[in-house]
Amino acid sequence: MRSFLKLVIFAVVVVGVYTLFSTSYVPDISPEPPPERPVAEVGGMTTEELVSLGMEIYNGRGACTLCHGAPGDRAPGLEDIARVAKERIEEPGYNGAATDAAAYMRESMVDPSAYVVRGYGVAGTNDTVSPMPDVTSGEIGLTEAEVTAVIAYMESASGGPVTAGQKSR
Amino acid sequence: MRTLSDDNRAGVAALAVLFAAVLCLLAAWPSAAGAAGDVFVAAPDIPAEAYPAAGPVSPRVTVWLAAQMHLWFAAFVLAVPIFVFILEAVGMATGEKRYDRVAYEFIRVSITAYSITAVTGGLLLMSLLVFYPDLMKYLSRVFGPTFLIYALMFFSESAALYIYYYGWRRMERGGLKWAHLGVGLWLNLSGTAIMFIANAWVTFMMTPAGLDPMGAFTGDLWGAVNNYLWSPMNLHRFIANIAYGGSIVGAYAAFKYLGSVRETDRAHYDWMGYTANIIAIGALIPLPFAGYWLTAEIYAFSQQMGITLMGGVFAWLFIIQAVIIGALFLAANYYLWCGMGRTPGGERYVPYIKYIAFVLALCFLVWFTPHTLVLTPSEARALGGQYHPYLAPLGLMPAKNIAVNVMLLFTFLSFLLYRRSARGPGVSWARGAAAVQTAIFTAGVLNIVFLGVYYGYYTNTVYKVASSIPQVATTLFVFVSVSIIEFIAFRGPGKGREWGSMPARSQYALVLIAVSFTWLMGLMGFVRAAIRRHWHVYTVVRDNSPEAFTPSIAYAAKVVSVGTLVFMAIVVFLFWLASLGTDTGAPGSSYTEDDL
Repeated sequence: MRSFLKLVIFAVVVVGVYTLFSTSYVPDISPEPPPERPVAEVGGMTTEELVSLGMEIYNGRGACTLCHGAPGDRAPGLEDIARVAKERIEEPGYNGAATDAAAYMRESMVDPSAYVVRGYGVAGTNDTVSPMPDVTSGEIGLTEAEVTAVIAYMESASGGPVTAGQKSR
Repeated sequence: MRTLSDDNRAGVAALAVLFAAVLCLLAAWPSAAGAAGDVFVAAPDIPAEAYPAAGPVSPRVTVWLAAQMHLWFAAFVLAVPIFVFILEAVGMATGEKRYDRVAYEFIRVSITAYSITAVTGGLLLMSLLVFYPDLMKYLSRVFGPTFLIYALMFFSESAALYIYYYGWRRMERGGLKWAHLGVGLWLNLSGTAIMFIANAWVTFMMTPAGLDPMGAFTGDLWGAVNNYLWSPMNLHRFIANIAYGGSIVGAYAAFKYLGSVRETDRAHYDWMGYTANIIAIGALIPLPFAGYWLTAEIYAFSQQMGITLMGGVFAWLFIIQAVIIGALFLAANYYLWCGMGRTPGGERYVPYIKYIAFVLALCFLVWFTPHTLVLTPSEARALGGQYHPYLAPLGLMPAKNIAVNVMLLFTFLSFLLYRRSARGPGVSWARGAAAVQTAIFTAGVLNIVFLGVYYGYYTNTVYKVASSIPQVATTLFVFVSVSIIEFIAFRGPGKGREWGSMPARSQYALVLIAVSFTWLMGLMGFVRAAIRRHWHVYTVVRDNSPEAFTPSIAYAAKVVSVGTLVFMAIVVFLFWLASLGTDTGAPGSSYTEDDL
């Protein structure tokens, strides 16, 4: 009976140590709450509101920061994307359909394999297939209006003029 | 004439309840078994008010604990028949009765666990029907036909188990023994089929397939079953169940060993603990490779889901996993080292233990070094960023891959030394064979380190993960080649082992392994489900219930701990029940000391 009790106490102590380690050593990060329902219209928004919505999606439901700017160099940085986009369109190897920076950003989000930045393609595809998902499908599932808001945010964050969504308002 | 004991009668009643529940579900399932072209099941958009009010009860925690409890018991009752079957076959091949005795003892423990598995399965089904009726309606319309097969397999498994257990004595000799082994095979096939069917439901919720672009199910049942994760999950759970079953039986052996007074009993339970531990660790070794395949398929299905798992908020969970697996390996090695003490030829290897322990500890430290540190602003300024300048590289996957593979190899080395301690050279060229083994082992370790360092840190990012495949191949090559040499060159007689002379502290290692396995299964079950985030069926059926948010790791750890303690309490109760049910006509009860 005594050895049995010792075994039981030992088992409880082991569970206690694991619990203590998980609750004390590991940072207590609460995952983000579920995203709100998608925004269908941005027509009535000011530019500031549009940029603010874009920033919220960029850092939240859009899951952009999981790869862009994250440790591990998974995807190209987007700090200066408005300027970089113009350069990419003019590159000889560019084979997408965009003609300006905003269109390039939209194309990269809804048809990521239209043009893949060198070194960031799926392994074995010679940079012809992008690992990035179409942001209007799957879990991210952004609406057209939300894609526009994210472009407006990236334009704003790049320090340039915000052109996205101007015609619709 | 043997009759059902009270606990087994209760078990049969529980089986009947579960079967009735499955039939109720089938009755509620509309004619989805019709022609494939006629089926159209739209993905439901379940409004928040459609979830039944649960008052003070948390529907999620209720389902969580019921599911986890069911999985723990199910893993045990699926695993035990696998190695009971193997032990019986080995016993038939060698003619040694001790295999039959231990096999029968295993199955006696599992038969009561089988009843509890059915009870917890019924509890899970009922709680799902009560708290998530719309989701269950959708899943039953998609998977209806598989429910029927599941119920049939359940009956098949029950019938096989009872014939296997109650027929053991009557089918002990001659051709009937072969028939009994055949029943064991039938039992295992039924159990495995049940697991595969349930895995289809679970994996569909993670990586749904067989749906049209709008998420509607149009009758492609095989497509829904054979989704991205089904095969890797089947393999991963199959192997993990064996490891888990081994660990629980090891704990049972420890419990009995410490309570045994007779020399023969101590020898028996010592041998039983050793065998169970070898099975547990033997199955644990290929588990990371199966886990690698599972994770690769998650990435193949959805990069975002993969990154959520490995690079997002759950990344810290893998630090906890590292600690527990490290504890498992250290405990398993410790048990083997203690085992050398009961072997007269083991002293010559004792000096090497400290070096193995050092390497294992080093790997353990690398494995649980985090990449990103959670720091206050002043700490971050002092450090120059979120990453430690020297330790941060150890937080990346290449370093973890090196640590895991080296840990596996050194555990294998412990086993080799343990085995060698009771064996002698079987051929004249044994000394040369040992040199070749040493060379293969050393080259393997160097290759693993080189692959990890060079491809992990000095080449394109694409190769960081890809290099893990040749690392794994190296580990497997060392296992296979060194084992072949070992079994050919060192099969000679040695000084043998003195079963029953293990120190008491070694038995705590077996208990540690069982508790750690249980806790780890709970934790990994949490993350597997949690990466669906706020989706019942990922990207198809959204969870709009008040508990749709993802809980933190600390919260999950507390739930897992409560579940583990409840589970362990029931397991202890089962051990006690099994000891009450020892019958004098059981195989092994008439064995002599020579049989051990």
